[in-house]
Amino acid sequence: MLDPYIPLVLMFALALGFAVFSVAIAPLVGPRRYNKAKFDAYECGIEPSPQPTVGGGRMPVAYYLTAMLFILFDIEMVFLYPYAVSADSLGMFGVAAVVLFIATFGFADLYVWYRGGFEWN
Amino acid sequence: MGVTTQTGAVILAQQSIAPPPIHYSAIAPVLIVLGAACLAVLVEAFVPRRLRWSVQVGLSLCTLVAAGAWLVVYARGEPMGLTTLADTLAIDTPTLFLWGTLLVLGLASILLIADRSVEPGGAFVAESSAAPSPSPRAASGGSTGGTATSIAPAPTPAPARATASVAEMRTEVFPLGLFSLGGMMVFCAANDLLTMFIALEALSLPLYVMCGLARRRRLLSQEAAVKYFLLGAFASAFFLYGLALLYGYAGSVELSAIADATAGSLRSDTLLFAGLGLLVVGLLFKGSVGPFHMWTPDVYHGAPTAVTGFMAACTKVAAFGAILRVLHVAFEASSWEWHWVLWTVAVVSMVIGAVLGLTQSDIKRMVAYSSIAHAGFLLIGAITLTDEGLSATLFYLLAYGVTTIAVFGVISLVRTSEGEATHLSAWSGLAKRSPLIAWVFTFLLLALAGIPLTSGFMGKFVVFSAALTAGMAPLVVIALVASAVAAFFYLRVIVLMHFNEPAPDGPTVSVPGAFTTAAITLGVVVTLLLGVLPTPVLDWASVGGFVS
Amino acid sequence: MTETARLLADDPIWLVLIKVVGTFAFLVLMTLLTIWAERRVIGRMQHRPGPNRAGPFGILQSLADGLKLAFKEDIRPVLADKWIYILAPVISATPALVAFSVMPIAPRVTLFGEETALQLVELPVGLLVVLAAAAIGVYGIVLAGWSSGSPYPLLGSLRSAAQVISYEIAMGLSFVAVIMYSGTLSTAGIVEAQEGGWFFALLPFSFAVYVIAMVGETNRAPFDLPEAESELVGGFHTEYSSLKFALFFLAEYINMVTVSALATTLFLGGWHAPWPLSLIGDGVLNTGWWPALWFLLKTIGFLFLFVWLRATLPRLRYDQFMNLGWKVLIPLSLVWICAVTVIRGLRNAEAVSAQQFLLIGGGAIAVLLVAAFLIPDRPPQEPEEPQAPLSGGGYPVPPLDLQVPQTPRRRTPVSSGASVAEHPQTRSPEGDEGGNSSTKEAPDGSV
Repeated sequence: MLDPYIPLVLMFALALGFAVFSVAIAPLVGPRRYNKAKFDAYECGIEPSPQPTVGGGRMPVAYYLTAMLFILFDIEMVFLYPYAVSADSLGMFGVAAVVLFIATFGFADLYVWYRGGFEWN
Repeated sequence: MGVTTQTGAVILAQQSIAPPPIHYSAIAPVLIVLGAACLAVLVEAFVPRRLRWSVQVGLSLCTLVAAGAWLVVYARGEPMGLTTLADTLAIDTPTLFLWGTLLVLGLASILLIADRSVEPGGAFVAESSAAPSPSPRAASGGSTGGTATSIAPAPTPAPARATASVAEMRTEVFPLGLFSLGGMMVFCAANDLLTMFIALEALSLPLYVMCGLARRRRLLSQEAAVKYFLLGAFASAFFLYGLALLYGYAGSVELSAIADATAGSLRSDTLLFAGLGLLVVGLLFKGSVGPFHMWTPDVYHGAPTAVTGFMAACTKVAAFGAILRVLHVAFEASSWEWHWVLWTVAVVSMVIGAVLGLTQSDIKRMVAYSSIAHAGFLLIGAITLTDEGLSATLFYLLAYGVTTIAVFGVISLVRTSEGEATHLSAWSGLAKRSPLIAWVFTFLLLALAGIPLTSGFMGKFVVFSAALTAGMAPLVVIALVASAVAAFFYLRVIVLMHFNEPAPDGPTVSVPGAFTTAAITLGVVVTLLLGVLPTPVLDWASVGGFVS
Repeated sequence: MTETARLLADDPIWLVLIKVVGTFAFLVLMTLLTIWAERRVIGRMQHRPGPNRAGPFGILQSLADGLKLAFKEDIRPVLADKWIYILAPVISATPALVAFSVMPIAPRVTLFGEETALQLVELPVGLLVVLAAAAIGVYGIVLAGWSSGSPYPLLGSLRSAAQVISYEIAMGLSFVAVIMYSGTLSTAGIVEAQEGGWFFALLPFSFAVYVIAMVGETNRAPFDLPEAESELVGGFHTEYSSLKFALFFLAEYINMVTVSALATTLFLGGWHAPWPLSLIGDGVLNTGWWPALWFLLKTIGFLFLFVWLRATLPRLRYDQFMNLGWKVLIPLSLVWICAVTVIRGLRNAEAVSAQQFLLIGGGAIAVLLVAAFLIPDRPPQEPEEPQAPLSGGGYPVPPLDLQVPQTPRRRTPVSSGASVAEHPQTRSPEGDEGGNSSTKEAPDGSV
C-alpha cells in the first residue's frame, strides 16, 4: 500500500521537470539575434528611466498594508478551518468561542476600515 | 500517515469535546481590561475626533477602576489559589497582588498619558505620520508649523499655525495601553510557557508602537521604537527558543510539568539548562536587567515621558512577576545548578546601573540606569526562592513602580519651549524657581535611593533581609555598596536643584493639569505610606505562594 | 478514511504513474482547448468568426501558437535578476499543475482492469493542498515582476499579488461553511457529503462569494487589472518571452481549470449527476465513467462563465476592485460564517445549557457586528480627520534631513519645536525650487 502522498510528490516532480525543461530549452531552440534595445527594460520613452525597483527600491506603502491585512485574515482562516472540521463535536461552547473570535477580528477590521485603511486610489 | 490522521478525525467527529471549566470571576479583571481595549478600538473607529480624547480617557479610567474594584472584591473573599482555562492561568495570591499593582500603576500611567495641559494637545503625535503628498490635510495637520517654516522658504500661513496650536493628540495610545496592560496581567498569571509567550507578545507589541508616538523629537522617538522593536524581537526569539528546548526536555510547556521533570530525572540536563538560559534571557530583557539592558537608556530617553513611566513601572512588574513564577514553580528543584548564574546577573545589573548611572548627564537616561540597578535588587529577591523573598519582591515592585511613575510625571513638567528639559544642567537651581516641584522630586529621588521613611527603604530592607535569611550575604553586601553608589547620583541631582544658581535661560516648570497632578500625588502619597506604614501591604503580599 | 482513499490505497505504482501523466496531459489539453474555445466564443459574441484556419474550426490554433512561442527568442533584460527571473515561471507553473491532483473526477472506475477512483490523490487535507498551491503561485507573480528590473512589471506584479491575496481570503472564507457542513477537508469527502443536496443551494452566499473570488483569484476579466494593457503593458510578465512566457500563460489557464473544478467539487456536487438524471435507473448515472462526464460538463460550464464574463463586463478600477474584496466580500463572509455557525450550533444542541449566557453574548456581538457593517461608509473625508496617507505612494517616514528648527521665543509652545512636519515632498516632485533637492526621494510610485 502506497503512502497517499506519493502521487502528489510524483505530480510535483513531473510538473517541476516540465517547467524546468521548458525554461532550460527556451534559449536553445529560439533564434538569437543581438540587438541592444532588446536588453533594455520595456518602456515607452527613448531612454529607460533609472531603475529604483530592483534591490533597495521602495514600493508604495499601501501594498505593505494589504500584505499585513492578508496575513491577519489568513491566520484567522487557519483557526477557522480546524474549527469548521470539528464544529459538531465542539457544541455550543465552540460556537460561542468562534463567534467571539470573529467578532474580535471584526473590531480590528472596522477600525482599519473607518480610519481609511481600505482606501485605494 | 494520512490514514491514521483520518481515522483520528473520524473518531474526533463522533465524540463531543467537553469545554474546559472557566472561573469567570477569577479572571474577570483581565477580561474587563481586554474587553475595554476592544471597545476602545471601536471608539477610535466610530467616535468623532472631537470627542475621542474624552471618551477614551473616561473609558480607560473606568476600566481600570472597575477591574480594580472587582479584584478587591474577589480578593476579600479569601479565594483559594486556582488554575483555570485548562490550567493556562494560575490565579493565586501573588497573581492577585501583581494584578493590583499593575492596575494601580496602569491608572497612574493613563493619567500621565491623558494629560493635555502640560504639552498643549497632549504629549503624543497629532498625526500618525506626516503627509508626504500634497494634500489639504497636510497644511492643517498638527505640529507641522515649525518645521515647515524651516524647510519651505515661504512662511507657513497663519491658519496653519492657528490650527497647529490646538491640534489634539491621537488617541490610539489608550487602546494600545490597555492591550499592553492586559498582556501584562496575563503574563504574570501564565501557568504555561506558551501562554506566557503569547502574553509577552501582547504586552510588547503595543509598547513598541507607543514608544514612537512622541509629539516632540520625532526622530529620537521613532529610533527608540525601532530599537526596542528589534531588540524585543530578539528577546522574544530567545524566549521561544528556550521554550522549545524545555518542551523537548519535559515534553510539556506547563510549568508544573517542567517542575516534575526537573525533580529527579535522568533526562539530558543540556536541554534543561540551555532552555532555562534562553528563557530567562528573554524575561530578563523585558525586566531590563543588565547585561540585557542595552535598549533601556535609549528607549527610556526617546519614548514619550508618560510612556516611559508606563514601561518602567508596569513592564518591570510584569516581567518580574513572570520571572518569579517561572523560577519558583518550574525551576525550584534545579536551583542549585543555576542560581550562581543569576547571582552573577544580579551583580552585573547592579554594577552597571550604579556605575553607568553616575556618568549620565540626561535625567531620563539617569533614571533608566537607576531602573537597571533596581532590576538587580529585584532579581536578588527573586532568586531567594523563599516565600519571604517572594513577598519582599512583590512589595519592592509596587514601591518601585509607584515612585518611578511619579518621577517621570515630574520630569514631564520641567520644560523649555522646545519641550522637556531633560539635560541635567537645565535642572540646576530648580528649587529657587519652583520649590514645590523640587521638593517633591527630592522626595522621590530619596525613595529611589532607599532613604528611610520612603517606600524605597522598606523595599530594599525586606528584600535584603529575605536574601540574608536565604544565605546570600555576599550578594547583599554588593547590593548595599551598589545602592550607596547609586545614591550618589540621586544626591547629585538634589544638590543641583537646591544649591545651584538657576541658569538664566533655564526651563520653566509648567503648572501640571489635574491628571498629572493626580498621578504625581498618587505616587508621592503611596511612596510615603509604604515607607511609613508598610505592614498592610506586606501582609497582603505574603499570604501564600504560587499554585500551578 | 473515505471510500476513495481506500480505493486509491490499492493502486499499483504503474497505475499511479499513468494517472500522473494522464492528469498532466489533461491539464495541458484543457489549456489548449480553453484558449481556443475562449477565442471562438468571444469571436461569436462579437460577431466575428475567431480563429478558424488551423485545423477543423481552428482547433489547432492554440497548439500552433504554443509551438511558435517555443521558437521565439528568449530575451533576458540586462537589469533582470538572473536566477529569480528564470525561476519565477517555474514557481508559477509548478503549483498550478499540482493543485489539480486532488480533484475527485469519478469515484469508482475500472482502469486497465484495476478498480480505482478517477482522482490522483485523496488526502484528509485536500482542500489545503489547493490553497497552498494557490498561495505559492503568488510568489511566481511577485518574483517575476520584481526580478524583471523594469517598472511596468513591478507595478503589475504588486497589483496582481495584492489582488490575488485579497481574493484568496474571500475564497478561503467561503470554504468555511462548506467544511462545516461536510465535516472534512478532503475533496472526495466533500463531494460525498453533497449526495443529498448540493451546497450551492444550501449555502448560496458562500457560492456567490466563491464565484466572485475565483475570478479575482485568477486575474481574469473583469478583474484583470494586472494585465490592464492600457496602463501596464502586459502586467508582471511584460519582460518575458518565449517558453517562459508560455509557462505563465499555461499557469493562468490551468488555474482557471482548477478553480472551476474546485467550484464544481465544493458547490455543484462534484461528480454527482444533476437532478432529473440522477433518478434514472436508481442512480446508474452515478456509476462507472458517467461521473467524469458530469464533472467535466460542470467544469466546462464554469470555464464558459469565465469567457462570458470577459466578453461582457468592462474592467473594474483598482479601487473598486479592492473595495469589493475588502469592504463587501470579506466582511459579509465573516457575518455569514457567524450566522451559519450559530444556526448549526443551535440545531445540534440538544439542550441549550449553561453556555447560554456566552451564546447570547456572542449573538449580541454578532448583531452588533452586522449593524456596524451595515452602517454606510463614511462620507469621503471628514475635513478635520487627518488620515495616514496609506496609499498614493507616500511613505510615512520622517524626513531624513530633519533640521532642528530655530528655537523660537519662549512660551510659544506647540507650533514651534514639533518635528515631523511636512515633507519636502509636500511640493510636487519636480518643483524643488527650494534648493533642498537632496531630500528628494524617488518619484511617487503611485498606482
